[in-house]
Amino acid sequence: MERDNNSFSGGRRYRNNEITVYWLPDACVHASYCYRELIEVFDPGRRPWVDMNGATTDRIIEVVNMCPTEALTWKWNDEEKNKNISPDQTNHVIFRRPELLIEKENVIEKNPVSIKIMMDGPIVIKGDFTFQYSGNTKEMKDGIISICRCGASNHMPFCDGMHRKIGFEDK
Amino acid sequence: MGTDGNNKSFTLVEVIDGGPLKITGHLILKDPKKDITASPAEVYLCRCGHSCNKPYCDKSHNC
Repeated sequence: MERDNNSFSGGRRYRNNEITVYWLPDACVHASYCYRELIEVFDPGRRPWVDMNGATTDRIIEVVNMCPTEALTWKWNDEEKNKNISPDQTNHVIFRRPELLIEKENVIEKNPVSIKIMMDGPIVIKGDFTFQYSGNTKEMKDGIISICRCGASNHMPFCDGMHRKIGFEDK
Repeated sequence: MGTDGNNKSFTLVEVIDGGPLKITGHLILKDPKKDITASPAEVYLCRCGHSCNKPYCDKSHNC
């Protein structure tokens, strides 16, 4: 199981080694240029529906530029090449969604899960993670759990404050 | 230059029955008392209270 970092708020992104194509489903008016022109790349019946290896970069750019909305936009992966874009490249992000031009890789990269060892107390874990215990698996989203570290909890594996009663000391 | 951007940032927190807490993946570990700040890819943390190397497991739970 892996996290899908090709998702971002409001859409998805697809890349080959030259360009990134952005897909914003809420903006789509189903004009259907994309799959009528290039089903090898844009196939609504497939998952993922965009295959960046299905055609040449030039052809993908040509078809993305046909999209009458901002549902499909594109940019060069080489930021230098995004600086002088001809206006006939209608769906380059600079003309449709300029904020995507300055998107940093780490904008959609999740923060690391925080593991904090409380002084003479439990392990407090915060963030997005998968939690497994006693045969259970839970997907935690912006979650927080507190795991017993003194060995005396009556609610294992969770902390119930017993460390104070037994005078647990972290030497 | 990446080809598909599949940077994994998936973190698994696993309670090992009768053993430590195993954490793997994208994490930052902080222990103010021991002055630890680290981002190991894998870490085993003591849950029994008997480790001589807290917060890490040293297998004292087997004793």
